Amino acid sequence: MLKKIRFSEVQVGDELPPVEQYVTQDVIDKYAVTSLDYNPVHTNQDWCTRAQVFGMPCTVGHGMFTQSLMASVPIRAWGAGSATFRSMEAKFTKAVAVGTLLTCTGKVKELHPIGPGRNFVVLELQALDPAHTVMGIATASIGLPD
Amino acid sequence: MTAEAETAARLARHASTEKQQHFESNFLKDVEKYETWDSVEIGRAFPGKLKFKVKQEDVLHYNVAMGETDPLMVDAKAAAEMSPTGELIQHPLFIVQVAFYCIENGPGSWIRSPGARNPGQKIELFEPFKVGEEIAMTVVAYDRWIRRGKHYITDKLDFHNETGVLKATWWLTLIIPPNREGILRFAKM
Repeated sequence: MLKKIRFSEVQVGDELPPVEQYVTQDVIDKYAVTSLDYNPVHTNQDWCTRAQVFGMPCTVGHGMFTQSLMASVPIRAWGAGSATFRSMEAKFTKAVAVGTLLTCTGKVKELHPIGPGRNFVVLELQALDPAHTVMGIATASIGLPD
Repeated sequence: MTAEAETAARLARHASTEKQQHFESNFLKDVEKYETWDSVEIGRAFPGKLKFKVKQEDVLHYNVAMGETDPLMVDAKAAAEMSPTGELIQHPLFIVQVAFYCIENGPGSWIRSPGARNPGQKIELFEPFKVGEEIAMTVVAYDRWIRRGKHYITDKLDFHNETGVLKATWWLTLIIPPNREGILRFAKM
């Protein structure tokens, strides 16, 4: 059964179901391959032990993986066929060490009833570690069907 | 086997698409060629080194790597019947794969710098890439600045299809080492 939602069904303040993901080395490796971002800070444990780019002797997840996971919140809540991303701006506040459980949340901040075929919402998204430390925040504008 | 060779072998197990199988996974290899923060001429525009021919396998791999399960994102038959475009729906950050492919070790190659940190990104999506399109990317050196001793740099990446339709724009920002010496210091660790 495909998920579907309409603009008229969304309210300011709606909270979307969170998306959780353990950022294991296997998850990081898969993302390195699919994004073609093979920076050793993500993939090479020995190099990370020496370089400590983030002050940690371990690999870290890609910032773009964190942003992608935040983007997955409305996709999974509303269905890929409903949520059409128009823009997304993210800031990363802390590196995600390998093994971290990331929890991404989303909340509707604004409704933009522009007109048929042009209505969109603005979401505030967050990526949190288990201690609720904010690892990343984002704002996304998403078109929804009438 | 060296640590680099072990890393390459481990990553190769996940590479299934044509592009992934031919893309250099050792970002330390061409480090002498990478652009550096101090050498980039702000305002200059270059075409990306490579063009990205969109294939269904590219879209599918990104969606699966992100753990998506929506049939419209992972089941080509379901997508053909029910997706608004008749194709697999792309994850909105699929653009990351396109950008890294198009830049390779050409203009904008500072994105591969060892020691780089990601402070945040801004992306605008105008219409999805379509299977069969050939995406050309323009790399404009947009800005660089120093804040709290860190060296920030932004490229504006514009993605067009072969008929000139602007598909997306990405203001790509990183904190990178200030010069070649800084990059080499990380590369030789």
